[in-house]
Order: sequence, then C-alpha cells, then structure tokens
Amino acid sequence: MKKIVSLLLALVMIFALAACGQSAAPAPAATEAPAAVEEPAAESAPVEEAAPAEEPAPEADALVVDTCILMEADDAMINNYSLLAVNPDAPFVDADGNAVADVELNTVGAAALINWLLSEEGQNLAANYGFEEYGEYLFYLKDGRPVSTAEIPEATEETKHIRLSTTTSVNDSGLLGYLLPIFEEKYGYEVEVYSAGTGKSIANAKMGNADLILVHSKKQEEAFIADGFSYVIDGMETERLNWMYNYFVLCGPSADPAGVKDAADVKAAFKAIADGKYAFISRGDGSGTHTKELSLWPEELGITAEAESFKDYTDWYVSANTGMGACLVMAEEMGAYILTDKATFLTFVANDGVMG
Amino acid sequence: MGSSIRKAIELILSADPELLNILSTTAKVCLTSSILALVLGVPIGILLGAERFPGRKVLLVLNRTLIGMPPVVCGLLFYMLFSGVGPFRHLHWLFTVKLMILAQVVLITPIIVGVMETFVADTAPALRETARGLGFGRMKEYRLLMNECLYSIFSAYLLSFARAIAEVGAVAMVGGAIAWKTNVMTTAIMMYTNRGSFTLGIALGLILLTLSLLVNIVLSVMQGRLSR
Repeated sequence: MKKIVSLLLALVMIFALAACGQSAAPAPAATEAPAAVEEPAAESAPVEEAAPAEEPAPEADALVVDTCILMEADDAMINNYSLLAVNPDAPFVDADGNAVADVELNTVGAAALINWLLSEEGQNLAANYGFEEYGEYLFYLKDGRPVSTAEIPEATEETKHIRLSTTTSVNDSGLLGYLLPIFEEKYGYEVEVYSAGTGKSIANAKMGNADLILVHSKKQEEAFIADGFSYVIDGMETERLNWMYNYFVLCGPSADPAGVKDAADVKAAFKAIADGKYAFISRGDGSGTHTKELSLWPEELGITAEAESFKDYTDWYVSANTGMGACLVMAEEMGAYILTDKATFLTFVANDGVMG
Repeated sequence: MGSSIRKAIELILSADPELLNILSTTAKVCLTSSILALVLGVPIGILLGAERFPGRKVLLVLNRTLIGMPPVVCGLLFYMLFSGVGPFRHLHWLFTVKLMILAQVVLITPIIVGVMETFVADTAPALRETARGLGFGRMKEYRLLMNECLYSIFSAYLLSFARAIAEVGAVAMVGGAIAWKTNVMTTAIMMYTNRGSFTLGIALGLILLTLSLLVNIVLSVMQGRLSR
C-alpha cells in the first residue's frame, strides 16, 4: 500500500514540476495578431473575396508563421465540392468480384440530407461559414448550382441513420461539424461521417458502406458515376451535384525564392518551383488536393501519383503521404512550398503554426 | 512537452464533452474486449498447456502466429466481412462499437492463450503428480491448477488490457472513428496528428497513459491481494 501511494505522489510531483517549470516555452497567446498571412497586393482578388490586406508580422516575434499565401484565386486552382447519392441498384461486388444483390442503403435519408444541403437554408449556412472566425468566407456558391425546394421528411426508425462518406479536407474545415447538428436537430436524423482521403472514401461507398458522398475530385466523381454507383435523386437533374467551391492556395516561405508572387499564373509558378528545385511538399495520398497538385506540374516532368514518376526529383519534391495539417507543419519546418486548401491554412495560422 | 502537459490538464479539468465521450467509448471497448478475451483465452490456454493430444504442437504454432497478426490486417478483414457487400452485411455491425470489440477479442485472445499455455506447461507436470498423490480427480486437479495460475491470469489480463488500449489499426478500420460514436483515444490521436495538431495529440496520449497507469495500479493491487 505504501509503495503505491508513494508512486502516485511521485507522478503528481513530476506533472506539477513539468507544468510549472516552463520558463523556456513562450505561451502562444491567442490574442497575438494572426497577421502572418501576407496578402500580396499585386494579386487582384475576385469580387467575392472579402480578403483583408494585412500588415506583415514583426520579425522579432519568434512564433510568427513564415509560410504565407503566395498565390490564390487562379482558376486552375479551383476546388469544386459535389454531393453524390449512392445508387441502391449499383453493380456492387464483394471482395472476390461476385455481384451482390441486396445491399441496404438509406436512400430516403440520403435524399433528405442532399435536399437540405442544397436548400436555400443549407446553402446560406455553408456560404457564411467561417466568416465569424476567420474574417473570410471559406466556401462560395457556384453560379447555376442546383437548388432544392423539396420537402424534407422527418426521420423514422428505418431512415434515421445516414452514412456520409467524405474527405478529410472537408471534415477538417469544420463545415460539417457546423452544418450537420442543425440538420439533425431539425429533422431527427443521425448522420455518421466517415472521413478519409478521397480514394478511400469513394472505395468505402463502393463497398456499400455509405448512403451518399461529399468529395472534391471531378475525375473520380465522374468515374464513380460512369461505373453506375450514383443516381439522380427526385427533383435533381444530374448525379453530380456540384454546388460550392473554393480555391486551393499556393503557400510558401515569405522570402519566396522561386518568385511565385510574381508568376503569371499558377502553372508558371509551379514551373518556377520545379526549375529552381525549391522544396515542395506533396500530399502524396491520392486525395483531392493531391490530384489537383498533380495537374499543375509541367507535363515534361511526368509527375504522377506513382512513386516511380518522381524518383528523380526526391531532392526537392517531398511526397508526405499524410493529412493537410501535418503537411503544413512540414512545409513550415522546411521552408517549402505547398498547395493547400484555404480553410486548413487559416486554421494553421490562427494557431500560430502549431495546429493546437 | 510542457505545453502538451498543460493542455492535457486543461482538457481534463474542462470536462470537454467530446473528450468524455471518447474516454467512455475507449473504456467500453477496451474493458469489454480484454475481459472477453480473458474468459475465452484462459480455459483454452490452460487446456493447451496441461493436456497432451495429437495436433497440440500445430495449434501452438498457429496461436503464436496469430499473436503477431498486424492489427490493421485484422481490421481490414473484419471490414471486408461486415461491409455493405460482405457476407455479414445484414448484421449492420460495421462502424459500431460491437465490431470493434469483436476485432479486438480476435487480436487479444491468442496472447492470453500463449501466456497461460507457457505458465501451465511449466507447472502442470509437477502439479499433476501432487494431485495424483493426493488422490484428486480431474475436476479437483483443474481447480488446483486454477488456483496456482491466479497470478499468471492477472498478468495475462494486464497484457491484454494494454494491447487493447494501445491498439489503433483494427478499431480505426472497423469503427471508422465516427465522432460521438466509435471514436476512441487512439483514433482521436491519429486524427489530430494527421491534421498537424501534434500538441493535442501528445496531450491525449498523456491522458491515455495516465488511464492505463490507474488501471494497472488497481489490478496490480488486486493481484497482490488475491494470489498470495
């Protein structure tokens, strides 16, 4: 008995010592102006962008995040989000390739969630998300987007559980955490969000584990539809319901050795990075961000998702194979360039580059 | 490191509801799976150690191989079996706590069997002689064995609980780390690490270790009291 008490006391003492003896680590004050984001005045932002121009942060502060947005709002970096309902009559196959006939999907629930997200109410909520916290809009509504006026049924025992397969970028932006409780409260549904990289998330749906998907990779969405896994829900006109978008941003060290800030467009910027062999962090995980990044490199380089294709560039091209936040931390450490979605970048900067 | 410790203490004191949910799910999954594995593994282990029968060596080798099964492979197997196109899809166990427990039981039972078998194989022959000498029948012999094994059973349980609480591959695959439903400490740490929130990841890790420590203290005390 005595031994255990003394062991516990020792532990408490160690905790207390460690917590108190922190003279070296400066407290990352949240009140510190997150003014490390340098908005290049040269870039003309499109009308919808409410981007404030901020003063560059003082160099004396050791915690300033050095990585900043160097290029944004280029059409080649547009990031489109789409909803697709999973088709109950899709050609599902099991692990051995045999057809599976009776896959159970909650089509009513999926349609209800899609109709709500595409309703006036759902769309306005999504469009306004993020403004309070970051002073910027994180998602924009597309022109010509589908709008739903359908009546949304209340949840019943059978239709209560909705399984949504989505990507880490969407989930980490916090949008779903913000929107879904409102939907659940109003209609009584329970939405289970499965979030993984785009590829894994789509594979999950193809195995009958999701009722609808929310992804941002047009090529993969079209393949999904071509394979018969999506269908047109009542009241909509297409399977691929692309209703909102935002931009990827190209970030890098404030010193910007590759001169990205002055590049004509994003493809020229990427070419400058490749020519100068400046460090670049790639997601490397088949995600929507990764797919977009692959499309922006000059064709002669031949960089694809396969490891073979970039084995000659490993001195500057880093294929990290991890989430967006972790990649940003890496970019900050290495002073490297990186393509990221704006929401994750803003969270990163707001937390002084340590992502909490 | 200091900021992580401070964060850990902050989190505990703030009684953040999501953290509490994660802790309770972790407790549910790990305690259930480790106890079930104990209940299944101890009899099998003792039998394997005490009896001699044809095929025993084969079973032993099989068991030892299963101990080394990568958790993520186990998770993948169960994911495929219970997914929407899998043979067990009508049970709707995918992405629920039930399946996480099942996957962990399959992972942990071989460990318990292995530990018990090792101990019993060592002590059974001598014990058998004593039992025969005292004129004990089969049942009484086994009860004597169980008594001797108590200390080992506790050690085996400590090992199985440790494995259950530290495991992430299987529970991530079959549970899907769904917020408020199947998110346990290890999957939450993985998620925060992937997002780049390293400090939060370590803070949660420290909380996890403390939890583990508390359980170990309680069980060690019980082990001391009950098996002397």
